[in-house]
Amino acid sequence: MIYFASTYILYRVNVKEEGILNKVLRQYIAFLCVFFVAGCASSSQTEATALENYNRTMFNINNQLEKVIIRPVAKGYRAITNEYMRQRLTNFFNNISEPVSAANHLLQGEWHNSAQNISRFMINTTIGGLGLYDVAAKAGLEQKPTGFDETLATWCVPDGPYIILPVLGPSTPRATTGWVADGYSSPAYWVANESNGEDAMLVYYGAAGLKYLNKYAENLKLIEGLEESSIDYYEAVKTMYLQNRGKIKSCGKIVAQSTPDYDFDMDDED
Amino acid sequence: MKKIYLFLLALVCFAQIAVADIDKSQAMKMVENVTKEGIEQIINSNASIEEKNKIFRQLFTQNLDLDFIGKYVLGRYWRTATPAQQKEFIELYKELNVQTWSKRFDEFKGRQFVFEGTSPANNPNQIFVDTNVPMKEGAPAVVKWRVNNVNGKLKIIDIIIENVSLAQTARNEYTSFIAKSPKGVEGLLENLRTKVK
Repeated sequence: MIYFASTYILYRVNVKEEGILNKVLRQYIAFLCVFFVAGCASSSQTEATALENYNRTMFNINNQLEKVIIRPVAKGYRAITNEYMRQRLTNFFNNISEPVSAANHLLQGEWHNSAQNISRFMINTTIGGLGLYDVAAKAGLEQKPTGFDETLATWCVPDGPYIILPVLGPSTPRATTGWVADGYSSPAYWVANESNGEDAMLVYYGAAGLKYLNKYAENLKLIEGLEESSIDYYEAVKTMYLQNRGKIKSCGKIVAQSTPDYDFDMDDED
Repeated sequence: MKKIYLFLLALVCFAQIAVADIDKSQAMKMVENVTKEGIEQIINSNASIEEKNKIFRQLFTQNLDLDFIGKYVLGRYWRTATPAQQKEFIELYKELNVQTWSKRFDEFKGRQFVFEGTSPANNPNQIFVDTNVPMKEGAPAVVKWRVNNVNGKLKIIDIIIENVSLAQTARNEYTSFIAKSPKGVEGLLENLRTKVK
């Protein structure tokens, strides 16, 4: 229920305008709420199978969407940009998310990292040309990104089942809650929301889209290679995604580090 | 008598420490050679894909325990597979890895592995060699190499990139495929044949 509650609160608090973007967003968040309640409640084998069936279907739909729209756009984007430009954009978006990381580090009790986020933000926004250059890293202040997902993990909130979200792809209820919270707690969102209504929001969502397109384009070769070499692409993505999430500290410790925890023995049953 | 026991105990402890020390440095050296020869030299060269695959094939055969990995990846289905299927699976899996990795290591082009030491595995015959690769931005990519010691011979049995184990990924993927395939292990082999031809 915590997923439902937090997502619903964010939805009620932040959706002020009645423009088309907010309508679409509201419908999407409402869908997530219903979906999460259903997802968290599912415990029996039949429900797990139903979730797996849904996930595979949605994964295939997303995959088609990716091939028809996202991948050609990403290829076009790569053709008109070079690595230098993409790197500047990555730095810019990373810099915008520093305040969100700082706030979440505070919520996690990581004062030192929070101070580092704030220092980085101040240095990179000024000397680093609005965050286009990561000057702070060169001065020894390395990036320490975090988000509400990791904060929830620190508070011992379980991850929940693996789910494929429409368009967005692999996730879990906790990861999605974190993603929505990070989006709404971003200073960029508040500036856009308070300034000029629908037009400013359009710029905000456009920038968010560009951020993901930039990230996707940077990893395009890796994604294509993985799909090409996979026997069961859905399962490969699922296991990689969940193993990678094992890095996140839950209740202050890493609980599912994939490497030393399993005894590398062929007799292990699945 | 008590003194003899204490002496033997001390000897065993010393021997174990000595063996562990040799294993650590040997494991580090072996992985270092793989990264130097395999990644930094092959990937950074202008060799053709065929040439890169050839060198990778040689490097994999020498340094990876593909029999061990193959058995682990098939999991419980290893026991139900016929000896011919087992043999073919290992060959196909090796070839798929050669083709995949000569492309995937491209991501590390122009970069150098930084060796940070070793860490223990649950199995006393295994050890992790801990490395990282500085990336263009953000934190460096953490790459761990699981090294197995069989009768003093060291072989890599897994590569873990950012907590994603390649062996575990292949095991989950392949066992899931076999469970759903009406042809079982043969279905997997048929699919792998199309991938590596």
